[in-house]
Amino acid sequence: MTHEHDHHAPIEAADEISEFEVLETAIRELAIEKGLFSPDDHRRFMEWAERIGPHGGSRLVARAWLDPDFKQRLLADGTETSKEVGIDWLDPTGTGTPSDFTYFYVLENTPAVHNVIVCTLCSCYPRPVLGQAPEWYKTPHYRRRVVRWPREVLAEFGLHLAPEVEVRVHDSNQKSRFMVMPMRPEGTEGWTEDRLAAIVTRDTMIGVALPRADWTADRSPAMT
Amino acid sequence: MSGDDHYPVLMATLRSADPGPPEPDRTPAPWEANVHATCACLSWRGTLDNLERRHAEDTLGQTTYADFPLHARAAVVTAHSLLERGAISERELETRMNQVRARFRQA
Repeated sequence: MTHEHDHHAPIEAADEISEFEVLETAIRELAIEKGLFSPDDHRRFMEWAERIGPHGGSRLVARAWLDPDFKQRLLADGTETSKEVGIDWLDPTGTGTPSDFTYFYVLENTPAVHNVIVCTLCSCYPRPVLGQAPEWYKTPHYRRRVVRWPREVLAEFGLHLAPEVEVRVHDSNQKSRFMVMPMRPEGTEGWTEDRLAAIVTRDTMIGVALPRADWTADRSPAMT
Repeated sequence: MSGDDHYPVLMATLRSADPGPPEPDRTPAPWEANVHATCACLSWRGTLDNLERRHAEDTLGQTTYADFPLHARAAVVTAHSLLERGAISERELETRMNQVRARFRQA
């Protein structure tokens, strides 16, 4: 990726001001003036929203790999069981956000079934557990094609599934968000939850990659 | 004012909406992130519960604000709910929007 500063989009001209932006600013300023919340409250939420990552999802998967009872609870009720790792989808002061209030489903990969998530309509994504969606997740190329040709799209990510593996594509929406629980890879026997969580990367929980014992997203591929 | 009633100050913002079908490929504008944070703060501090607002978005989005683009409904419905609860008045909102608009145009 390059950053070509010579090709900035033009800054919005004054006559192109969005009335919705004007409305947003007015609401926020009035709410602050009336003491409904503080500027600091707002800033903290903005900063939080921009920094959340996939660590919550990684923790859910790692714990499920180690604890069969937790795994069953997670698969049965993702929204409620997420609270056990400190993620409350319904609590805006925790890790949920207003746009994320919805039902949360964890999809278990098995030797016979591989799951992958998408939002064909826009960019719905399980942010409380995975953070901000990667840019490619929002592209029409991914959204439109993965529901039609999932094997081909997964192959473009380097994930080649055997013909006998069923691929299930789950379309996120305003009411339902999904996360993939990948299978625990070989070579991880005896590992701690922390060590396991490190190999459960974002893409493995979207379903476009599989976790590997020799790979974490915390270090450069060139260093492995 | 409640239910299917509408607030003229909010309906007037519809002039910002692009005519035509929804744009699924559009990139969210920065102000949309501000709306989400504002909603989170209002819920956190007890003025407007997120779940109530989401239900209001569903209901009003199919009726009063059906012509509004999806990405604008959170802002419009949040304002609608604050007006309905008396947390802010229409006059206050209209005056502040005029001030904000004037500030933006100075830039």
